[in-house]
Amino acid sequence: MVSWIFDVPTWEFAALTSGAFILFSWLGAIFARPILRPLLGGRSSLNDIVGYILSIFGVFYGLLLGLLAVAAYQGYGTTQGIVAKEASSLAALRRDIAAYPEPERQNLTWLLRDYTRYVVKQAWPLQQKGIVPKGGDVRMTAFQERLLRFQPMTAAEEVMHAETLRQFNVYYEARRMRLQSVGTSIPGTMWYVVFLGAIANLVLVWLFDMSLLSHLFLGGLLAAFLGAMIFLIADMDNPFRGAVSLSAAPFEPILSDLMED
Amino acid sequence: MVRRPRLSRTVLAVAAVCAALLSGCDGRLLEKLFTPPPGPTPIRIGLLHSQTGTMAISETGLRDAEELALLEIDAAGGLLGHPVEAVIEDGRSRSADIFPRRARKLLSEDKVFALFGGWTSDSRKAMAPIIAEAKSLLFYAVQYEGNECAEGVIYTGSTPNQQILPALDWFLGDAGGRRRRFYLIGSDYVYPRTANYVARKYLASKGVEVVGEAYVPLGSHDFRRPIAELRGTNPDVVLSTINGDSNVDFYAELAKQGVGPDELPVVATSIGENEIRSLLPSQVAGQWVLANYFQSIDTPANRAFVDAFRSEFGLDRVTDDPMESAYVAVKLWKLGVERAGTTDPQTVLAALSKGASIEGPGGTVRFDPRTRHLAKKFRLGLVREDRQIAVVHESPEPIEPDPYPAFAFPGWRCDWTQGPPVAGAPIDLSAGSTPGR
Repeated sequence: MVSWIFDVPTWEFAALTSGAFILFSWLGAIFARPILRPLLGGRSSLNDIVGYILSIFGVFYGLLLGLLAVAAYQGYGTTQGIVAKEASSLAALRRDIAAYPEPERQNLTWLLRDYTRYVVKQAWPLQQKGIVPKGGDVRMTAFQERLLRFQPMTAAEEVMHAETLRQFNVYYEARRMRLQSVGTSIPGTMWYVVFLGAIANLVLVWLFDMSLLSHLFLGGLLAAFLGAMIFLIADMDNPFRGAVSLSAAPFEPILSDLMED
Repeated sequence: MVRRPRLSRTVLAVAAVCAALLSGCDGRLLEKLFTPPPGPTPIRIGLLHSQTGTMAISETGLRDAEELALLEIDAAGGLLGHPVEAVIEDGRSRSADIFPRRARKLLSEDKVFALFGGWTSDSRKAMAPIIAEAKSLLFYAVQYEGNECAEGVIYTGSTPNQQILPALDWFLGDAGGRRRRFYLIGSDYVYPRTANYVARKYLASKGVEVVGEAYVPLGSHDFRRPIAELRGTNPDVVLSTINGDSNVDFYAELAKQGVGPDELPVVATSIGENEIRSLLPSQVAGQWVLANYFQSIDTPANRAFVDAFRSEFGLDRVTDDPMESAYVAVKLWKLGVERAGTTDPQTVLAALSKGASIEGPGGTVRFDPRTRHLAKKFRLGLVREDRQIAVVHESPEPIEPDPYPAFAFPGWRCDWTQGPPVAGAPIDLSAGSTPGR
């Protein structure tokens, strides 16, 4: 899918999508319809045939759009869950390291803060551009190195350290999943089918024997709805991009907590 | 017969409309139509420090200080009407292979206009030929051993005559207790070995004895034997050029063996507030630190720097000498770019060479076009209980840099205004050394 759509305001994108479809529908009704109808013979029963084909086609196309909308929403929801899990395991990790003795506690806090700051201030804006942020890897490695240097001196510290390492792995896994979902989207081929189907729908409408005004109204209505559906799917397609996207909000309280530590 | 050509035209017309829409779906047509005109291209600079490995404890702070300077530049409207963007790479504490590889990548792939990086002299020496080949600039922000005037390198840290030698003078004098038995310990690489060579030669010129000299591998964590050997020579002061997180283990082991600053003062060249935070006050309070800058300097410029750093990176973060030098380095580069009116490295260097000074957090520093180092003040500090460093002594004026002090490097000279550096007599760094027991 094109990337520029995420850089324009939502209302502009919605208006653009619906407007493009309405324009296509109206242009067809004005210029293509007078040519197409005579080609098909202009029989009085043509409306019934077109209506029959359109209803069959509409079912399949509706199913396609519906499934895509559900898939896009589920993808969004899944990624939202991953981000929530990542943020909560980061908060748990932050709690765990607070129990370490000095100076390890401060060192680990600084490294975790450095990482969290990067996620909020640098990684998220990059994700919103569709770029997988890479700077977090180094910061996570630095944190892990420091964590692994800690030598527990008591049984309580051993338990605490083991739990922190476990929590670190949980966090790391959630982080990897988030990064993998940055580039996840509906394949380009699918978009071709969606657009081809929309065009076929509108072309079929042109074949109805109606007044031009009815064509402009009914065709425009259908075109506007198709545009709106496609806008919805496109906007939800990438969970980190566009107006309907996941923000760094779950990480922000952790960062402000770490900043004031 | 009559309708066929009309049908073809219609099919073609519909196909054309479909193709137009589908090409829009692919994005090429619509992207061209609707993509807003690009904003000013960011000016890219490279930050290459070790963010992992043994040097991370020291170098991460430099990256943060450089980022702070860049944030301030962007907040003030950018540079020549462009935002400034940092491309950050991790040297992974591997001077020989990762540093030169990443430096080459930053210059050739990321097309950065200047590089800010390194801590160890090994990393600087590994990057310098690449900088010279690319005719770019490397801003190196850490105190170092001298004995170098590499093409394209701007040294914003201090040379031995701005840090080690004034400290030796102080400890040889009444204020420093008229010490006469010096022990030199350092990490085993070019900086400590060369710095100790300079210190040894200087002390010899004063008729003072170096009772022992020892080196531990960079990244070493076991100091039981080195400290036992050190104590066996009965020194009255230790000059430490240990680098990285080995410092933590060195001071911890000193404390563990009950060697306090009253019994045996340690004077360190490569430790600051950033490393001291990893130690307990009981392990390090009362020890000595050599630098040009300490966080405790009470001036409006420094308070503003410390406040800005803390509000960006955390209220409990500290600033130290190399971080201040790194911050100053970015500001110096900015000054050069503004004066040159371009980011071209050689033009920037020429602009700076006409004379430049910066009001940094540690005071005024002046760019010396002969050596491409900075003239800066020397400061001697004592570690306090709160792990901050109190200034005990400072030079009244900034000290001119001298990468080749004549007593240590006879015949060597660096004056870029006259031409490339002149080589003198060959130097044997081990000459006159006394191995520790």
